[in-house]
Amino acid sequence: MAELLTRVRGLRHANAWIYGTMLVSASLSLIASFVLSIDAVRLAANPQTTLSCNINSVLSCGTVASSWQASLLGFPNAFLGLVAEPVVITVAVASLGGVRFPRWFMFTAQVVYTIGVIFAYWLFYQSMFHIGALCPWCLLVTVSTTLVFATLTHVNIRDGNLPLPPRMQSALKNAVDADLDAIAVTIWLLALTLAVVSKYGTTLFG
Amino acid sequence: MGKQARTTARQQRVARAAARRRAKRTRILAAGGGVVILGLLVAIVITLVNAAGGGSRTDADAPTTLVAPAGATAAGAIPVGDPAAPVKLEVYLDYMCPFCGRFDRANADQLNRLVADGTVRLEIYPLSFLDKTSNGTRYSTRAANAAATVADRAPDKVLAFTQALFAQQPHEGSDGLTNDQIANVAHGAGVPQDVINTFVDRTFEPWIAKLTETAFASGITGTPTVKINGTVFKGDLYTAGPLTDAITAAKGQ
Repeated sequence: MAELLTRVRGLRHANAWIYGTMLVSASLSLIASFVLSIDAVRLAANPQTTLSCNINSVLSCGTVASSWQASLLGFPNAFLGLVAEPVVITVAVASLGGVRFPRWFMFTAQVVYTIGVIFAYWLFYQSMFHIGALCPWCLLVTVSTTLVFATLTHVNIRDGNLPLPPRMQSALKNAVDADLDAIAVTIWLLALTLAVVSKYGTTLFG
Repeated sequence: MGKQARTTARQQRVARAAARRRAKRTRILAAGGGVVILGLLVAIVITLVNAAGGGSRTDADAPTTLVAPAGATAAGAIPVGDPAAPVKLEVYLDYMCPFCGRFDRANADQLNRLVADGTVRLEIYPLSFLDKTSNGTRYSTRAANAAATVADRAPDKVLAFTQALFAQQPHEGSDGLTNDQIANVAHGAGVPQDVINTFVDRTFEPWIAKLTETAFASGITGTPTVKINGTVFKGDLYTAGPLTDAITAAKGQ
């Protein structure tokens, strides 16, 4: 049992698992961005057909897609996913193939993706508390963005890619070695789930 | 033992103590995390069970006999205006549907005029399929029942009431208006108080459920759907003008 646990923990810190998770999450994010982009283009091309509450639209009337928050920068947010996720996929695939990127590269990736995560959560917050409609594809983006962020942070702490003070770096490294990061991500995702089911539980079952 | 060896031994002791402290702190953090995870899981399960129970709750107070409001059409519409008007305009709506609100706010003035001058006979189908978007308060059904009650007992106020409901339409995904707020809206639209008092009887809820089912069975796929003399209007519903033009054209035929 103890031996199995050691092996599982070893696997969790191995490149295959970390970059594999990153690859799967980024791919899911890309698919969701694709669907949302296509919706956005359709909406722009023909506002009439999409501007209705469809009997088949299980969760919302598409009010998320037509809100100002959905195109904060003047174009649909999903386009950002189309641009950013292929880069993440490339990094994950190359790393799985044995490529090691320079520290500055991984650090830059961390900075850019952190901005992306903040943006994803701002959108989540907006759709939950201001738009008031649930969008399943947006939710998938939120979750998979979180996972990419977690794996990227995990690998950057493990490899010491971040320009941190030595004490902080060693504290973070110890935390990652003790799998505290996995616990943190689990708590994070469960809190997200709780927020969604408490707000939309009746919608999901009604 | 030499001084050197003593120093090394002490350093090792200090390092071991530090490592033990670190391991202890880690264990405490991990245990705390485990407790939080367990708590969250329990909270999620409780929330889900509550939500599922709320959805299938047996509603003892709900009336079961199907009663149609006076004057309702066989298809389940609330008629407004001259029965002999040349143009029959059917509107399928849900009081929670944000696009129905936009449609109504864009076209209300024109429709009022066209109904008043006898061009249009309006037939309103108040559907309830968006009940699921009001956090379990069934706003669509409550609003539609209120509209049906007004159609039954104060039919000349039903159009004003519908427009007033859309003017104060709640956000999709919110709890919707409370019964008291719906009563206030009705009051503002000139519905007599004795009619408003019967909203809570929920008399027409079975009729609303039935007409919603019938509408979707007949091929309606969403709201708003607008039919001019039985043909679905495919033009712009959200700016004043196109619908009026189409109605004028239909009248000429």
